[in-house]
Amino acid sequence: MSRPLEDILFGAPSPQAQTVIRVVSVIAAAVLLLLAAGIVFRFHSAGQLDARFWEFFAWPTTWAFLGRGLLGTLASAAMAAVIALALGLVLLVGRLARPRLVRWPSIAVIEFLRGTPTLLLIYVCFLVLPSVGMKLSTYWMLTLPIGLSTAAVVAEVYRAGVLAVPRGQTDAARSLGLTEAQVFFFVVFPQALRYIVPALVAQLVIVVKDTTFGYVVTYGELMQNAKVLIANYHSLVPVYLVVAALYCLVNYAISRASKRLGRPMH
Amino acid sequence: MGSVSRLLADYGPAFGQALFLTWKLTVVSFVPGFLLGMVVTVLRLFPLRPLRFFLTGYVEIFRNIPSAALLIFIVFALPDLQVLIDYEPAVILTLTLVCSAFTADYLRSGINTIDDGQIEAALSLGMRPMRIISAVVLPQALRAVVQPMTSLLIALMLSTSLASQVPFPGRELTALVSKIANDSAAGMAAFAVAAAMYVATGLLIAWAGATLEKKVRILR
Repeated sequence: MSRPLEDILFGAPSPQAQTVIRVVSVIAAAVLLLLAAGIVFRFHSAGQLDARFWEFFAWPTTWAFLGRGLLGTLASAAMAAVIALALGLVLLVGRLARPRLVRWPSIAVIEFLRGTPTLLLIYVCFLVLPSVGMKLSTYWMLTLPIGLSTAAVVAEVYRAGVLAVPRGQTDAARSLGLTEAQVFFFVVFPQALRYIVPALVAQLVIVVKDTTFGYVVTYGELMQNAKVLIANYHSLVPVYLVVAALYCLVNYAISRASKRLGRPMH
Repeated sequence: MGSVSRLLADYGPAFGQALFLTWKLTVVSFVPGFLLGMVVTVLRLFPLRPLRFFLTGYVEIFRNIPSAALLIFIVFALPDLQVLIDYEPAVILTLTLVCSAFTADYLRSGINTIDDGQIEAALSLGMRPMRIISAVVLPQALRAVVQPMTSLLIALMLSTSLASQVPFPGRELTALVSKIANDSAAGMAAFAVAAAMYVATGLLIAWAGATLEKKVRILR
């Protein structure tokens, strides 16, 4: 596409229309500024602008603590991503296998993990597994469920990529005498990966979001550390705002990276 | 299996209510979320810089914030700003905001599949921009996003489990499972039943979405 569609829709307005656009823009800006002012005033009248709610953000210890939380978030997210990428491949191979005895259970596992809320899986690791004598660390109580449910999604993403690889590639590889496994791992899968890198990276955003549930199992990630800060300083709004901004920044960076990665492929 | 039948004897009606509540939360947050997302998408088309800037920020924030963080902010932090929202509306508001941001994002990519030539043709026929949006742009964009919207609806259905994080009146499936796991040893069976209900609902939505997709797909 040469130009964004909205530029064509309202492209080259007449001088009269330009005036209208300018006036309405100013009005819109005024309304939005008023809204912002209203929010700031609400903060002020609720006493949330008091220095005592904000001053600890000037201390390096606060940021070190939040930084440790962020590291916890990333440690859990990274491991969950590794589990998802590896187990997703196993599930994909099972899903594509010809024998029904392999294929059907793989489909069942994928649908089950994909169709169950991650939070429910976390509760199973947190509440149910200990009652049958399996005690995981808080790190695994959070990371394992996220990794498992993401693996099922990743398996389906992989599959979409595999299906997008032209059939001729498989036929050519077979006619060269490669075994089925060689065809898959050396010819089909590497090409499939190229199609789906953006979708895989986008999945990372969801993994990071899911680690928010760390507070459920008291694993020291960003959200959990935010709760500790709040308990110390009784400063709910500022801490949650800062933490929300941190999450948005991390995830926005990941989405941008996925768009960047996606571009040269097409 | 014995434990499942005993569980259903004890908690059968509770599971029925929980499933129904999960469905209800899904619908009451998807419908306004979808409509709001559509409004955001259309407003972003207008050549009003401040509005576009604001709406882009809106979409990026609610697309990237973890729903749990948003819900906790609404429920526990907003009262400090003298904004009191009850638990049920808070959950619905959270899911609606997130759903609207994703809807806007998907519709935008749906719009990008429309060829410029169509807009130019419509303009040269003398159609006004608003008319083009409602008659040319939106119908095609909506038909192009059936599949991502189906996935979004399923994701939203799974996200209703967030309601278990606040003292929600009534229990949806996840809250019910955590209560049963706390009260008795039937946690595993309760989990299996709830998971089956979630999976069945998801498959139902996926099937409905695929059927709709087949009907409205645009062949190019």
